[in-house]
Amino acid sequence: MNLLSAGLPSTAIPLFAGLLDAPVGVAHYLVVGAILFTSGVVCMALKRNALGVLMGIELVLNGANVNFVAFSSPYLRGEGAASLGLDGQLIALFVILLAAAEAAVALAITLNFYNNHATVDIDQADDLKG
Amino acid sequence: MIASLLASAVPMSGLLAALPVAAVNWHSVLFLLFAAVACACAVAVVLADNVVRMAFYLVLSLAATAGLFFLAGAEFVGAMQLMIYVGGTLVLLVFGVMLTAQAPFVAIKTSTGDRVLAGMVGAALLAVLLQAAFRVEPWRRPAMAAVAAPAATPIGMALLGVRVDEPVSGAPPAAVRSGYLLPFEIVSVHLLVVLVGAAYLARAKRRRTPRAIDVAASSVGPVVTAREAARSSASALVSGGQR
Amino acid sequence: MDLASQLPMLLGLAWLAPLVSFVAILFFGPRMGHHGKNAAWVATAAIVTSLGLSLAAFGTWLTVHPVTAVSHDSHGAAVVGHAAESHDAHEPGADGHESHGTGADAGHGDHADHGGQHAAVVPVAYSGDWYTLYQGGSLRLSIGWYIDALTVMMFVVVTFIATCIHVYASGYMHDELHDVTDHEVHLSDGGHLHRPGRFPRFFQALSLFCFSMLGILIAGNLAMVFIFWELVGICSWFLIGFYFERKSASTAANKAFIVNRVGDFGMLIGLMALWGALGTLHFADSPAAGPAGQTSPGLFSLVRPAESGHALQVPDGMVKFANASEVSRIAVENASRPGDGANEIASRIRDWRSQGYGRWLLFIAGVGIFCGCVGKSAQFPLFVWLPDAMEGPTPVSALVHSATMVAAGVYLVGRFYPVLTPDVLLVIAVIGGITLFIAATIALVANDIKRVLAYSTVSQLGYMMLALGVGGWSAGLFHLVTHAFFKSLLFLCSGSVIHACHTNDMRKMGGLARVMPWTAGTMLVGCLAIIGAGIPFVIGLSGYYSKDAILAQALSYSQVNPSWSILFYAVAGGAFLTAFYMFRLWFMTFAGTPRDHHIADHAHESPNVMVVPLVALSVLAIVAGWTLPGGFGLANLLEQARPAGTAATMSDSFLFGNLTVPAEHLSHEGAIHVTATLTAFTTAAAGVLLAAMMYLWRIISPEMVASVFRPIYSFLANRWYFDELYNAIFVRPVFAVASLASGTDRGVIDRLIDGIAWSARQLAGFDAWIDRNLVDGLVNATATATWNAGLELKKLQTGRLRQYVMFIVIGTVALFVLASMLFRAALAS
Repeated sequence: MNLLSAGLPSTAIPLFAGLLDAPVGVAHYLVVGAILFTSGVVCMALKRNALGVLMGIELVLNGANVNFVAFSSPYLRGEGAASLGLDGQLIALFVILLAAAEAAVALAITLNFYNNHATVDIDQADDLKG
Repeated sequence: MIASLLASAVPMSGLLAALPVAAVNWHSVLFLLFAAVACACAVAVVLADNVVRMAFYLVLSLAATAGLFFLAGAEFVGAMQLMIYVGGTLVLLVFGVMLTAQAPFVAIKTSTGDRVLAGMVGAALLAVLLQAAFRVEPWRRPAMAAVAAPAATPIGMALLGVRVDEPVSGAPPAAVRSGYLLPFEIVSVHLLVVLVGAAYLARAKRRRTPRAIDVAASSVGPVVTAREAARSSASALVSGGQR
Repeated sequence: MDLASQLPMLLGLAWLAPLVSFVAILFFGPRMGHHGKNAAWVATAAIVTSLGLSLAAFGTWLTVHPVTAVSHDSHGAAVVGHAAESHDAHEPGADGHESHGTGADAGHGDHADHGGQHAAVVPVAYSGDWYTLYQGGSLRLSIGWYIDALTVMMFVVVTFIATCIHVYASGYMHDELHDVTDHEVHLSDGGHLHRPGRFPRFFQALSLFCFSMLGILIAGNLAMVFIFWELVGICSWFLIGFYFERKSASTAANKAFIVNRVGDFGMLIGLMALWGALGTLHFADSPAAGPAGQTSPGLFSLVRPAESGHALQVPDGMVKFANASEVSRIAVENASRPGDGANEIASRIRDWRSQGYGRWLLFIAGVGIFCGCVGKSAQFPLFVWLPDAMEGPTPVSALVHSATMVAAGVYLVGRFYPVLTPDVLLVIAVIGGITLFIAATIALVANDIKRVLAYSTVSQLGYMMLALGVGGWSAGLFHLVTHAFFKSLLFLCSGSVIHACHTNDMRKMGGLARVMPWTAGTMLVGCLAIIGAGIPFVIGLSGYYSKDAILAQALSYSQVNPSWSILFYAVAGGAFLTAFYMFRLWFMTFAGTPRDHHIADHAHESPNVMVVPLVALSVLAIVAGWTLPGGFGLANLLEQARPAGTAATMSDSFLFGNLTVPAEHLSHEGAIHVTATLTAFTTAAAGVLLAAMMYLWRIISPEMVASVFRPIYSFLANRWYFDELYNAIFVRPVFAVASLASGTDRGVIDRLIDGIAWSARQLAGFDAWIDRNLVDGLVNATATATWNAGLELKKLQTGRLRQYVMFIVIGTVALFVLASMLFRAALAS
């Protein structure tokens, strides 16, 4: 996890350095969520296979879920910080449901596309070119 | 909760105690483990070229994410993640992969330029997100230790419209958070609609002409010719085929 | 019905009858008979009606005011009556002579014995207004009448002559009953003008003229005179320019009108002087707009007030007007007590008058009115139009330019006589004398028969003006009447000759007495009348009496004003010249052998319709001057109309030194009368003798005389170069100004306008360029840019999903960075 870009504050290093014995906070979860999200976005932008794009979508949604759960958790919070409480978990739940629905429909579309064009390469799907 | 359980019941505690880190926080260790798996597999999804491998990595990543949920105290959500997401959605995805994993489509490469650009954009996005993550001071360390408090019942009650968890902070003592009955109902209808729609979209269609895929399969070649074949077959299908 | 209401009705109807004829012919002329032939009868019927009414009025007058022998010491006394009201008016004379009358039947014929003193006697005169056009304060413009013996007499004369001429013209103008080929009009293609006839139009204009002339005669105030003055002028213009396609005729008509207008300018000045200073233009008193019983004094009463025995004095209004500063000073001083102010002014007026205030104003008023007469009666220097007016048909010359219109000037001087001071009268006499002489000399050498008669008319008008100027009121007007008869006779005869010979040139005539006996005879009567032929002290033709009276008065005047005795010699010399040129005319035309046999062979007597008027007029030319045993005669009739106060001798000393205008009756006394008669007879005889020697017996050759006096001859033959002089002084400068104006208009103003238009067009072109290239260019460029931007932006939509995702991500990152920077700045502040 060498994601130390120039923009990270210097306090990140002692953060990770003492991770093994220091408790985990929301920020750590947010990092994970960020990584998942970014991976998903890059996957969406990069993959020419339609199913690859769908996977990217799943990753994005999961990254968001991780964030929501982190914000809802009462244990990860510092003092004085507000918590989403149960709302966060419920939102995450709904996201999962909607992701499932969306995946089903997207897959149906993809399969239709595959049946009509004999390919899953989305670069071939440029009929809406301006 | 689990961390404490694990921490207390692991027979390897002695082993662990022998490690130089004496008071190790098992919660953090497990977090690191699951987080590492999730991130690595997510990155692997991006880097892999074979779509089947991508699917596998994705499954692993989402499973690890479920573990993260458990660690954060949202065990119901974690369970749902495993059941619905991993067990349902990803299986569906794998089905799709299997259906379309013909030889030429298994590993479609993207140009290097696109990859560099995507990498840069991804890096920028990651930078922005990470920077935001570390901004807020209260997010860095927790205030209380993990306590086992099952969340299933409050979630279930909330879905029925009754909120039994703590009231809104800062609000008048009688103010509670709103219930989720309506969204619950909507989502159920939504799922029904999706079911019907997906079924319709994916139904078996009567074909008077052979499938374009079957015609194209006879002339398997580079991706370019397949594209042209697909184009011609598609137009023939549209003009000739009727539903 | 009393005279005061009967006369206005009769004469008013007589005045309006020709107007009815005018309107009828105006609207229905061409439809009156074949080619409008009956228009002549309509006009003649109208003028005969006028004649009948005038005679009726004359008769009515005579029954009430019979003409008695005017001895030197009795005059008819009468009263000024008003048509609307009846009231008593008493004007005590200076010597206690009484005149009175009642309203119902106006007073008449009281003979008072004045024992040699001719005190102020007011003539019988009826005045009133038919219609008031405008009344503001004391100022009143109205259509009204002033009827005295003079008016009635003039009405008869004018209508009679007009009747004769209407009848004559109905025969003379028969050429106009069919299409006319006018040989004197040359068209651009060389041919002669061919036009339809204009018979009804002639009588339409003639009727309008009669209406206008009678309007002048009956007018009761100067404004009405002026209106009809102008009307007569325009009728003259119509008639002179009857053959208007001829350039000479249309030019002559314009000349007549314009020259008349020059005179009218002076007349307007005179009118303004009277109006401004006196506030009234009426001749006689009229009922004032105010409490009943008051009268607003007319001009005659203002200038010759009854209180001073009708002697001429500067009226109060003019004195105050001339001394206006003093008057206003007094008024301002007594502003709070206006009664006192008026009293003081009234008491001071006499002093001011004796100091001479207002004399200039009265002089100007008189000379101004006379200027109009100079124009109308063709006096020097405005006589140049009358000879050219012969371009009109001969009946027009006869009626308008010999008997009536030109007489209007003399008539106005006669009517306005009470207001004229001795200085004004001297001006009139001198102008008349000059005119007399110039015209007579030109007539000596003229060869066109009508020209001779025209200049003769001018000369005779000079006679009349001179007569009036030297104090011969009765003599001048007497000559006016007799001249009307014999001059119209002469013109009609000349028309007859021209009709027969188809030429005006006397040099081509000769010996026509044999073929045209009636014309020759009547013309001889006319010639004798004009020279004043007669047996001295016994009997004579009409001209004898009137010429005699003029000579006598001129002699009387020159005796009391020795420095002005030239006037008498002018009259005497004029009589000689008149006799000469008139008989030159007669001998050249009728006597001797024909000079052009072609003409002589074709000459014939005129038809009866033309001869009868000649005879009628010649009868009148013979008898008009006679006084019947009972006293009925023209002279005595005129005496009834003599204005109050003019019978006395007038003397004054203003501009021209001491002037005395002797009373007219003094010229009837022995010595002067005898001298005058003998002078008249000898000069006339000498003139006839010389003419006979030169043109009948051929003892002296006219050509030799002409060659001996070549410079004088050519000077006279060129009419004293008056036309050339006026052309150089007036016409050329006007043309120069006109060409300057037109040059300015074309060169400057038109250039300016064209320049503005040109620059506007240039500006428009520039604007168009801007609009096309800049504005449209801008719009088109915007459109093109938008289109191109769209084309470029279209490329964004590649249809490629991955690209869209990339854009979403980049956009999100950018937005977040931007937002975080903003928040950072906000939080930092």
